Amino acid sequence: MVHKPDSALIILGHGSTVNPDSDVPTFAHAAEIRRRRCFGEVTCAFWKEEPSFRQVLLTVESDDIYLVPNFVSEGYFTQKIIPREMELAGPITELGGRMLKYCEPVGNHPQMTDVLLRRARETAPGVPTAETSLVIVGHGTSLNENSGAAVKRQVEEIARRGEYGEVIGAFMEEVPFVTDWRSLTTCPHVVAVPFFIADGEHSYQDIPVLLGIETEPTEAASRRDVFRRNPHAIDGRQLYYASSIGTEPFIADVILEQVARFDEEHAAVPA
Amino acid sequence: MGRRIEHALLGWLEEGRTRLGQIAVRRDGDFFELRHLDDADATALDDYCSPEDALEIARWDAAGKYRPLKTAPTLRAGWRLRLRTAAELVLALEYFYPAMLASCLAAREKRLSVTPLRDTLARQSGMYAITRQATVEDAEAVIGRRCASDGGCLKTILWPVEDAPPRGLPPEKFALEREADVIPLPCAEGCNLLVAAIRRHLKRIQA
Repeated sequence: MVHKPDSALIILGHGSTVNPDSDVPTFAHAAEIRRRRCFGEVTCAFWKEEPSFRQVLLTVESDDIYLVPNFVSEGYFTQKIIPREMELAGPITELGGRMLKYCEPVGNHPQMTDVLLRRARETAPGVPTAETSLVIVGHGTSLNENSGAAVKRQVEEIARRGEYGEVIGAFMEEVPFVTDWRSLTTCPHVVAVPFFIADGEHSYQDIPVLLGIETEPTEAASRRDVFRRNPHAIDGRQLYYASSIGTEPFIADVILEQVARFDEEHAAVPA
Repeated sequence: MGRRIEHALLGWLEEGRTRLGQIAVRRDGDFFELRHLDDADATALDDYCSPEDALEIARWDAAGKYRPLKTAPTLRAGWRLRLRTAAELVLALEYFYPAMLASCLAAREKRLSVTPLRDTLARQSGMYAITRQATVEDAEAVIGRRCASDGGCLKTILWPVEDAPPRGLPPEKFALEREADVIPLPCAEGCNLLVAAIRRHLKRIQA
């Protein structure tokens, strides 16, 4: 168990200027970890909201600071934006007498596979998995070739377990595109799980349109009485659409696991 | 959030600095009480007691619209938040006005580093790379709308566009310590909302 009363934990999220639900899981995981009192200080920072990546170091007073990106993939944000904005030199940065320890994003953790499978089963209870296509939906971007890698790893791992009829990855902004799910899948049941952090603009509003569940983006999730009803009968198929995996409360444990992994991998670094 | 910020905040309250943005802070027996400045004399208020409640109060304006910029002058009224400890008070104010207590302390201790807007724009990439092309006039046109205290943002601008402060805003927009009962909200660098607004401005004029 992580016990670092003299250290700070900063959870780094994307945030949103348009969607009120984007920061919710990041704040919730921070509140949970704060409640457990395993760090002296726990706070959040965001790309599109405040405190920003630029401001947040001012707000913590510890000299030993763990940074955990609450992102699902290693990619544009974790490899370019966060290091640039926070002036990180690598996994370990000494900045003004303080030690910044840049951990891997939550999406890289091996337990995310179990989180994903649990979410898929909850979304389509009682549906025979052998007759189900599991679609793991990611963002993907031409800005960084690694963005889709986390989804592709999950696809390989879940396919290897052989539980689902087929497992495919699909993306908003790179091939194979999520709009093509009908031709990409062959089973009568299709469960689509957004490999996203929040039920925000992309996963709650954009992807349902790309899947054909909605004709135009709905209001934000928190502004609707009912999250969404499954299944959706589309072109003779039963399509189930899940809530983003990042909303699982268990992600708070994954964040702490990433801190523990960092310490294991950098055992020589003084605390 | 650590002890130094708590200690500084308690000192400011002792000095009579009890206003922060649109919020009034006061001691009420063993409690700290926060309410909207417009609710100074109100009695029928919704009561809250957890720092996390501040997150939800700050998330929506009076019309139910999402507030991505927490220092926008759109904090809704009608609530009272009572907190037991200085740590809870600091956390609640961090939710209401992110990074502002720490920025204020750093400014008072002369260690707040300020970034010219030109430098902020120069390091942008991806969808925001276009903002590197912004002229001073482009930036000032957007700042005049997005950063103005009446309708835009309550923070005090400390950064220059290049080597001079943006033109078109009143002098008090750049004066940090101007009221004895206020904990100021220092802006040390243009935020992502400003960068995004400059992007939209450039897209519009280039279309």
